[in-house]
Amino acid sequence: MRRKQITALLVTSAMVLGTISGCSKGTAATGASSKEDGGIKEFTAFFAVPGDEINDDNEIQQHLAEITGAKVKETWLTGQTAEEAVGTLIAGGEYPDFICGSDGTSQLYDAGALVALDDYIDDYPNIKNFFTKLEWEQLRQADGHIYWIPQFNNSYEKDMQTTHNDEAFWIQTRVLKWAGYPKITTMDEYFDLIERYQEANPTMEDGTKNIPYTILCDDWRYFCLENAPLFLDGYPNDGSCIVDLETKKVKDYNTTPTAKRYFQKLNEEFKKGIVDPESFTQIYDEYITKLSTGRVLGMIDQWWDFYVHVNDALKQQGLEDQGCNYVPLPITIDKGVKNRWHTSGDTLNVGSGLSITVSCKDVRGALKFVDDLLSEEAITLRNWGEKDVDYLVDQDGLFYRTPEIRMKVSNTAYKASHLCPYSYFPIWTGMSQDGINAAKPELQPNEFLDSLPKNVQECLQAYGCKTYVDMLGENEIPGPWYPIYTFVGTMTTATPGGTAWIKMRELKHEYLPKVVMAPDFEAGWEEYLTAYETCNPQAFLDEVQPEVDRRIKIAEEAAN
Amino acid sequence: MASIGKVKKERINWKEIKKQKVLLLLSAGYVIYGFIFCYLPLAGWLMAFENYKPKAGFFHSEFIGLGKFRQLFLDDGFIRVIRNTLAMGVINLVTTMVAAIIFAILLNEVKSQGGKKVVQTISYLPHFLSWIIVTGILHDALSGTGIVNDLLLRFHLLKEPLNFFAYPKYFWWIVAFANVWKETGWNAIIYLASITAIDTSLYEAAAIDGAGRWARIKYITLPGIKPTIIILLLMNAGNVLNAGFEVQYLLGNGLVQSVSQTIDIYVLKWGISQGDYSLGTAAGIFKSVVSITIILIANEMAKRAGEERLF
Amino acid sequence: MINHRMLHKSKSSLGNKIFVLLNTIFMVLFVIITLYPVWNTLVLAFNDGTDALRGGLYLWPRKWTLQNYITVLHKKNLLVGAYITVARTVIGTLTALAANALLAYIVSRKRFIFKRQLSLFWVITMYVNGGMIPVFLLYKGLGLTNSFLVYIIPGMVGAFNMMVIRTYMVGIPDSLEESAQLDGAGDLVIFTKIISPLCKPVYATIALFCAVGHWNSWFDAMLYNRMNSNLTTLQYELMKLLSSVSNQSNSVESMKNAVAAVTPTSVRSAATILTMLPIVCLYPFLQRYFVTGLTIGGVKG
Repeated sequence: MRRKQITALLVTSAMVLGTISGCSKGTAATGASSKEDGGIKEFTAFFAVPGDEINDDNEIQQHLAEITGAKVKETWLTGQTAEEAVGTLIAGGEYPDFICGSDGTSQLYDAGALVALDDYIDDYPNIKNFFTKLEWEQLRQADGHIYWIPQFNNSYEKDMQTTHNDEAFWIQTRVLKWAGYPKITTMDEYFDLIERYQEANPTMEDGTKNIPYTILCDDWRYFCLENAPLFLDGYPNDGSCIVDLETKKVKDYNTTPTAKRYFQKLNEEFKKGIVDPESFTQIYDEYITKLSTGRVLGMIDQWWDFYVHVNDALKQQGLEDQGCNYVPLPITIDKGVKNRWHTSGDTLNVGSGLSITVSCKDVRGALKFVDDLLSEEAITLRNWGEKDVDYLVDQDGLFYRTPEIRMKVSNTAYKASHLCPYSYFPIWTGMSQDGINAAKPELQPNEFLDSLPKNVQECLQAYGCKTYVDMLGENEIPGPWYPIYTFVGTMTTATPGGTAWIKMRELKHEYLPKVVMAPDFEAGWEEYLTAYETCNPQAFLDEVQPEVDRRIKIAEEAAN
Repeated sequence: MASIGKVKKERINWKEIKKQKVLLLLSAGYVIYGFIFCYLPLAGWLMAFENYKPKAGFFHSEFIGLGKFRQLFLDDGFIRVIRNTLAMGVINLVTTMVAAIIFAILLNEVKSQGGKKVVQTISYLPHFLSWIIVTGILHDALSGTGIVNDLLLRFHLLKEPLNFFAYPKYFWWIVAFANVWKETGWNAIIYLASITAIDTSLYEAAAIDGAGRWARIKYITLPGIKPTIIILLLMNAGNVLNAGFEVQYLLGNGLVQSVSQTIDIYVLKWGISQGDYSLGTAAGIFKSVVSITIILIANEMAKRAGEERLF
Repeated sequence: MINHRMLHKSKSSLGNKIFVLLNTIFMVLFVIITLYPVWNTLVLAFNDGTDALRGGLYLWPRKWTLQNYITVLHKKNLLVGAYITVARTVIGTLTALAANALLAYIVSRKRFIFKRQLSLFWVITMYVNGGMIPVFLLYKGLGLTNSFLVYIIPGMVGAFNMMVIRTYMVGIPDSLEESAQLDGAGDLVIFTKIISPLCKPVYATIALFCAVGHWNSWFDAMLYNRMNSNLTTLQYELMKLLSSVSNQSNSVESMKNAVAAVTPTSVRSAATILTMLPIVCLYPFLQRYFVTGLTIGGVKG
């Protein structure tokens, strides 16, 4: 009896199996073809970064498809590194129509998987106007062609940045308020203030202890610990090393006197119990949890790393009224050193961008889609949404949102079913092309101010600022090499400089926590320096310098 | 029941082959299948001897002989991760096997059938959780404000909270504990299945002879599952260098990285992330060679001891 | 003599009672410690995402919500993924079980002249691996990529599972096989009618292993069927939800522009619970195969 059942099950399974494989082969949307579906072209895209897929019936995607005549099925990176994902694609030889390789971009280029775009660009005005002539020159690869279009940090007209999306010393508004909104400009003043506040107010209102200062050094997020010396000396975010603004020479920030002072300060503060003892073992989730409880008075971090979750959590718990939101401070090592934490204007990431692959059968169609997506109508749909549904227009033509709309657009299900930013396609930021509004809601001045928590509004006002950026002051882009970290990100162990870079990173992960926790700082620092030398950091610097020079040269040539 | 060795040495002659033609035919099928899916891809080991680039492919990448292997073994870091992996592998092997066996035996002694089912079902639930979740909970429990420190302080075993993740000496044991926690229930399933195969009449006879519970376990249950234990021990011994990636990656940090990094983490850092597939393949070959050597030696030892063996 | 036996009985019953007590305590503690992580995940799954960020959730949700489950279930391709996963679990488990069992049978026959070589052949496969790229190229060459069969065919024979079954079969007395051979039965008949019925516990075990393996798999869906959303699996769809958490990127740049902020822990927990539930329920069905003892009727080893 049982055997009959099993046989029957097997037969049915076989039939099902046959049908499935038959079906799936037939409707397989391989990356190598762009389909037509009722007049709407369909392209495929893969982005080697994490992201959310939108639903197939996404409303705004449909709307955009009607305007442009095309839509794109986007897939994102999951459970692999970008290099692995790209490596497998290359091995298989089949690619989606669009690709953004992120860390794997150079692999794609080496494999010849990308289509050279420079001959086409002149035919597509929106794309052509997306960058200046100089910027297009900077995007040329060694063989003289352009293969990818960077998508971000490209402001139309002017930079409307209201938030400081980068790194800074952050502090809670309640600390500043308690001290009467003092002017804090040096590292010593910063820690001094935190110490004093902590002594006077060791706990939150409900009795839980404050954590005066915490450091995140989980994996690649350890910039919170290690690159402060760069900024403390007043250099802009070249990320991996200093590029001297006068001499244009590359210097190592890890061994400067400022670096020693900074780590010595951390060491002192650690001994005083100001630095969170769990800093060096906490993982990102724990860190965010700590920040979300509002207990942490200050830290170094980059805005995008924490604001989304932490701000929401603080709002939900009513901790905004206790002044737990963070604002950045213009800190340097000594008075008189100008801070360059915030660089205004756009920085071009020459290392990565949107590409079209050799598997795309309709390169012109694909480029036309990209071109169409840069039109005013498309940008508004991508960034703001549908008129009267996702934003409203007042009598002066200014866009604005109600609290209900703001709530709606942060809902995950709504985002998947309705909003379609095509976020990894080239997109304008800054102003909208209508000349009145900002390109994105976050940049709209009235929107921005309205959505700020009260304690932050108060704090900004006390310092005479309207935005987070005002707290730090604006700085111009220091030079055409900036930011050099886009080059460092592409270095691999194939070169001695790249090998040195990896070794330095490994070593710093191990030694910097030890240095901060060392009972005898001088001995600990010496140990670190000795070990550091074995990484051969000079090789690293020697490899970066030519790139800096090269970028400067291109800029000079393009200007002539 | 252990196989009582009465193996007649079969001489390979036509008569025998004809008698076993069904078995031989089926075997041939399996060999072909195994060859295609398991052995053919080994041609990819060629990558370890080249400077493999995806564009050039296997046949056009630059041949560098043992270059990658030299690079690996001249690197102190690689030697260190071999040590780490081996240590964690052995500790995990021993602790998880012992825990699973003990659990299976004790569970078998539970009289209530209902209770047995409930306990067993709950026991293998952690197997289904991802390491991200389990390590998150573990991190929380062992943190300064976590439950472990809480208990230790309360019972005055500690004067102030101990950050377990800051000290290399605890790391390997934390990893072992995590594995035992997550996998004991699941690993016990095989042993429980084996226990059910033991002839119940043996137990009855022993009870009549007055054998107590311990005696029964010692002389019936344990010998009964001995073949299973040996086979699993042999197979897992071969995997000792695959001690893991995710657990160590998720639980590690800068302070313990000298003991937490495994071969797989090393390969990710120095191989894949640098676009250096050759390095990864070379490390993989190294692991395979060691594994097979261990298997051959262990199998031989099992054979000499008259125990069940893999082949 | 009677006294001796009574003494024996009362001695054993006290030792017995202590054992039962200790064992019960042990089991209870074990259950608590093993159940806790699962329970904690369940608690998080029912707790509001932003509130969960504060931490401190252990035994009961602080802010109830079903939103996490709704978010997970709203994932568009979930239904397709579930369908494919169920299909591959059923088909894959049955085929794998049959394939492994048959091979185990062959290798466990003492008379088989190549049993040692065949065992070695398969044992080695457990420890050698050509690497992701060569395997990918092989499957592509065989036409397995972009198809359902890539889930079924390559994984059919697994040395580990096969060995477990083999060990079990070796424990079955030779006398059964011999008497069947005397009756004129061929190998296939012996396999299906004599040996297999006695292997219920190990078959159930291996079936469970295979089923769980299929149920949880997503990496092969991503590697070989990435472009075909009709062949996605349940776990792959859910992995996409968890993507930003275990990101091993070295590039601050890519994280900076990553559109998806880290998925809340609570949504991850809900996804875990939803995938766990069906497969965890499989075991009770298989439990009846864990039949105690070999009831061979007349022939005892």
